[in-house]
Amino acid sequence: MTEQLRESLSALMDDEANELEVQRLLGQLGEDEALRQTWVRYNLARSVISGQPVGRVNLDISQQVSAAIAADAKLSAGVWQRLTRPVASLAVAASVTAVVVLGGQQLYQAGDPDAGIAAPVAATGVSAVGFVNSLGAVPLRASYGNQAMPELEPAARTAYRELARQRMYLYMQEHAEHAALNSPQGLIPFARVPHIEE
Amino acid sequence: MVITTRSLFHALAVNTALLACIFIATPAPAATCSETDAEALGWLAKMSRSYREVAYQGVVTFQRGGDLQVMQIARSVEVGESSELLTRLTGQGAQVVRAAHPLDCTHPGQQLLQLGDQLPASGCGMAEYYRFQVGEGDRIAGRQAVRVGIQPRDMYRYGYVLELDRETGLLLGISTLGRGDQLLERFQFADLHYGEPESPQRVVETVHPARHPHPDVADEGPALTASWSVSWLPRGFTPTDSAEAVSPRRTYTDGLAVFSVFLEQLSRELRPGEGVVREGSTTSYTRGMSLAGQPMLVTVVGEVPLNTARMVADSIRLVR
Repeated sequence: MTEQLRESLSALMDDEANELEVQRLLGQLGEDEALRQTWVRYNLARSVISGQPVGRVNLDISQQVSAAIAADAKLSAGVWQRLTRPVASLAVAASVTAVVVLGGQQLYQAGDPDAGIAAPVAATGVSAVGFVNSLGAVPLRASYGNQAMPELEPAARTAYRELARQRMYLYMQEHAEHAALNSPQGLIPFARVPHIEE
Repeated sequence: MVITTRSLFHALAVNTALLACIFIATPAPAATCSETDAEALGWLAKMSRSYREVAYQGVVTFQRGGDLQVMQIARSVEVGESSELLTRLTGQGAQVVRAAHPLDCTHPGQQLLQLGDQLPASGCGMAEYYRFQVGEGDRIAGRQAVRVGIQPRDMYRYGYVLELDRETGLLLGISTLGRGDQLLERFQFADLHYGEPESPQRVVETVHPARHPHPDVADEGPALTASWSVSWLPRGFTPTDSAEAVSPRRTYTDGLAVFSVFLEQLSRELRPGEGVVREGSTTSYTRGMSLAGQPMLVTVVGEVPLNTARMVADSIRLVR
């Protein structure tokens, strides 16, 4: 593992990796045992630092990396480009894949969930009713809106954002099927589907 | 696969099975309706009817942020049924077809819009959660429009500006407005011809026959092992179909906005958290959570503000 890769990995964990770095990491993770071990150690270290309970650490991400790459291979770059930004590059497409793979791992609780590991304590976090209404009447704070979300580490935040992007891609067409029958625009909701499947 | 528009349009129109289509009307609360509200609701009802009854063909633009799509829309009305075709002219060479849709099949969202036909017996319907304004509109695709301004009365939905054809009521354009009247998305006709469409032949790679979710026919697809319910909805939202208790999806509409909730059962505990992506007026909100000890991934996708998606996700309960 080169120093450069180590730095990229560190940057990724801090939510600061650029697209090229993520792409390089993606390329290397499958083959580089030392890099994988470093990834596990970084996670472990940060969990300890942030005071989170740590279980047995037994993360082998290489398999998931390969599986996710295989699963994502059929998505064309053009699709991801439209999903991301009009000027998105191929590097962005690669980084999306990489972050989903890494992030998915990041989001799973370390170790065996049955081994008595407490869930992370909910911190101050995001208010469930966090938006100011500028359009209408005074909002009522509903009783179900009081579950504070735990404050996420940067890597987990990135992972969740990419999970949301992935899910939007996955579910948009099914949503459009219903929107097309239940909103005034007819078939126009299908224009929101990034890639229409037959 | 290369298919020409015209042949497909007709082939599907004949082959699609006709399902009886009966939905139960949502009872509207009794309320007095101001003159402006009544006028606006009348226009919304006319828009909904014209969408069913008028044949046309045109080119529309669909704009979200810096992204501009151009599409062709054609609608043909034959005896008792309509067919509709959307062809993407930019980007992906895709086409969506809805063939042989019975004219008397009115889905819950359209029903909410058509309540304006039954004033004052229907109460004031959508005016309970939207404020309306009616005024002179722009000229769009060469047609004079009536402008219906729609502002939400609560924080759970977006605002809209509708431009309707003064003569036919057809929706010529719609802008979706977020906080501070920020434009999130705009759909508008660039060119419009009334009458039975004569579709020019276009080469497309993907043809998707739009599905027709039905209240009495169960969704084919994966089922969850647990039943679940959404225990809170913003006022005025109603289910678009009768999804089964174990169906991984539910969809809701207030007549203008639509959102869907998707549930996935996970095999492992996920670190609790949330992620958000927004494209135009669409919010995709994903939350990892535990419901009665079962790890779940909840996703709310729809044309509603983030806060609505979050509160709906908060309210999901497993039903024992």
